[in-house]
Amino acid sequence: MNTYIYIWVSLVMLTGLSVSTAGRNWGRWGLTLALLIAFIKSGLILNYFMHLKDQKKMKWIRWMIPGIFAILVFFIGLTFLDIALR
Amino acid sequence: MINDRSMETHRDDLGSTLGMWLFLLSEILLFGGLFLLYAIYRFNYSQSFHLAAESLNRPIGALNTVILLTSSLTMALSLYALKQKQSLRSLCFLLSTILLGLLFLFNKYWEWASKFEHGVYPNATRLLERERGEVLFYGLYYSMTGLHALHVLVGIGLLTAMVYFIRKGKVHHERYLPLENSGLYWHLVDIIWVFLFPLFYLIT
Amino acid sequence: MPSFYEENGRFRGFWAWIFSTDHKRIGLLYLLSILSFYAIGVLLGFLIRLELIAPGPTIMRPQTYNALFTLHGVIMIFLFVIPGIPAIFGNFFLPIQIGARDVAFPKLNLLSWWIYMGGAALAILSLFTGGGPIDTGWTFYVPYSLRTPVNVPLAVLGVFVLGFSSILTGINMVTTTHQLRAPGMTWFRLPLFVWGIYATAWIQILVTPVVGITLLLTLMERLVGVGIFDPAKGGDPLLYQHLFWIYSHPAVYIMILPAMGIISEILPVFARRTIFGYKAIAFSSLAIAIVGSFVWGHHMFVSGQSDVASVVFSLLTFLVAVPSGVKVFNWVSTLYKGSIEVAPPLLFALTFIFLFAIGGLTGLFQGALATDVHLHDTYWVVGHFHYVIFGGTGFAIFGALHYWFPKMFGRMYHRKIPYIAWGLLFVGFNTLYFPMLLLGWQGMPRRYFDYLPQFHSLQFLSTIGSWILIGGLILMFGNLVHCLFKGEKAESNPWGGATLEWQIPSPPPRENFDEIPLVSKGPYEYR
Repeated sequence: MNTYIYIWVSLVMLTGLSVSTAGRNWGRWGLTLALLIAFIKSGLILNYFMHLKDQKKMKWIRWMIPGIFAILVFFIGLTFLDIALR
Repeated sequence: MINDRSMETHRDDLGSTLGMWLFLLSEILLFGGLFLLYAIYRFNYSQSFHLAAESLNRPIGALNTVILLTSSLTMALSLYALKQKQSLRSLCFLLSTILLGLLFLFNKYWEWASKFEHGVYPNATRLLERERGEVLFYGLYYSMTGLHALHVLVGIGLLTAMVYFIRKGKVHHERYLPLENSGLYWHLVDIIWVFLFPLFYLIT
Repeated sequence: MPSFYEENGRFRGFWAWIFSTDHKRIGLLYLLSILSFYAIGVLLGFLIRLELIAPGPTIMRPQTYNALFTLHGVIMIFLFVIPGIPAIFGNFFLPIQIGARDVAFPKLNLLSWWIYMGGAALAILSLFTGGGPIDTGWTFYVPYSLRTPVNVPLAVLGVFVLGFSSILTGINMVTTTHQLRAPGMTWFRLPLFVWGIYATAWIQILVTPVVGITLLLTLMERLVGVGIFDPAKGGDPLLYQHLFWIYSHPAVYIMILPAMGIISEILPVFARRTIFGYKAIAFSSLAIAIVGSFVWGHHMFVSGQSDVASVVFSLLTFLVAVPSGVKVFNWVSTLYKGSIEVAPPLLFALTFIFLFAIGGLTGLFQGALATDVHLHDTYWVVGHFHYVIFGGTGFAIFGALHYWFPKMFGRMYHRKIPYIAWGLLFVGFNTLYFPMLLLGWQGMPRRYFDYLPQFHSLQFLSTIGSWILIGGLILMFGNLVHCLFKGEKAESNPWGGATLEWQIPSPPPRENFDEIPLVSKGPYEYR
């Protein structure tokens, strides 16, 4: 039970970090940092709140999220081949 | 029907967890299409996106993020309590999750309403006079947060049904999967907000 | 043991069907509803061909023609071929073939049929409400679909709902394959039909939501004018095409992969040989599913997308030919030195290979950048995809019907008539669609109401072909329907198949297996 609360505290702190670093004119790095924090937060939610980490009987389920992310990256990347180079 | 054989009942639990995750995957790609559009329009109109994002209410956005994160915590605690046979505690946590969800929706409503007052809504003449990039920003803003709010609403419906089932004793410490699966759905909706928040409110 | 027809459960008569959670009954519900929509689609196709029998207006006005070809496309794609094999035969046979008593989520399965009917009802309702039948073509391309006065919103909503049904079926099939295999039914003892449905189910789960959101946005665009796809408000209509084809190209594999599974079932049974290259066929299904998800841009070569994107998509498109070729070579090798009995199912399976090869090879012309500029939006394309979808999936469904008919209904059809029907179908099919390839090569654009006199003879020939084809369809289905009631009782294993569905009575009992079988050999090991 304590784990849940620790995770929640870190999630809120990460949100605070994300808000406080926004708007500092870091250009592309600002967006990168914001997305990085978002990924860490979702990783915490997936592994602890959604118990992906404890999924012992179907270990391969853990790979579904990175898998779906890879597919999305392909979809967006291939579309960018059109948009960015048109 | 099939569940009278112990081995299959055992497998059934894993099956519904798998089924739920598969459903969540398709939910991710439903939003994925919108993220694709967002990425492309942001690339094409990064300047206008910066400008438009400044006019969004950042404190409310941050507050809503914390609200949803907290609701995720109470959701996880509710399941934990149920597994510990403390169904009353579980109900309390579940009700606070629902309340936090409603609070989120209320803030969202307030936020939209104040934008509407300033004439910023889809197809509004005052919005269409602005830069194309800003029109697209608000088009995406309303589509994405709208679809997300719809999911929160569905989640609240699911959790309300769970309150009913727990009180009726149909969901309990041995049969907790319905609550677990509703929880998975709720957490996923939370994760989507975790991405929506920086993309719309923090890109100034 | 009473069959699943005799055991009703809680309800009686009609209600015992539409509220049944038995996967076999749901499969038959789908069979009836999908074939009914197929009949409507065929009728629309017949009318389109009749209109084109001579230049100028013959039996209808241009607007009616636009509505007819749109409806023909929407019905055939979304109501017939996409749900076709997974929902009918996947539902009925996948659980039996893996040794299970039902699918993983029987209630969800029933729900998906209801959602299917709901989506179909919305699509039909769109014909008579609002601005009338849609005329956008089945692709609903923006910006035209945003401007046309016809009832696009309701039709789009209907297709969205159908997508929901497709996702639920996919979730059911993946979970069933993972969780409910009988003891000893390892992954490499799965019949290849199961592999086909399994790969298809993943595509259904992963890409259907993309078209779902696209259609939802189109709907919102019509209702509140969000502006995301509307060029007048700064939106990029090409992004609609990207998102639409991210789904709709893999949808082609939703149609063809289970069909390939059926062919891989039929060939070994009637060649009395184990399948050649089992693993190659199984993995090529997955390879097609994966690579096929990244080729959508080949529908957009002349849309104005960037040249780099076109080149990359063209390359990826050619890559799909590799696993497709792997399958065809393995099928042909399966026949080699086999003891072949040309029963009706095998005849349809062989026709599948022949017509699919023509469909696949004509596809390469469109996958190549230079030739596509000439062929794009011509009758060549129409000919090509009818060879793939009708010649491929359609003939696979006919083959599956003749292969599994005795198991599904417990009766055998008249064995001679399918040969005559096949002859009509084969001749009619090629007379109907081959001229289209020639017309397209000569530059006849698709979707046109009228044409130049120089195209008359081929158009005329094509219309004649449609009559022969419909004659064949009537004879084939007439035979099946007649023998549904009057046919002689079928044995449990009339073809001598080795997969599990042939080891239980025809028609199967309510829960398929009295005792869950212990599997100790592969699906195509004959004595």
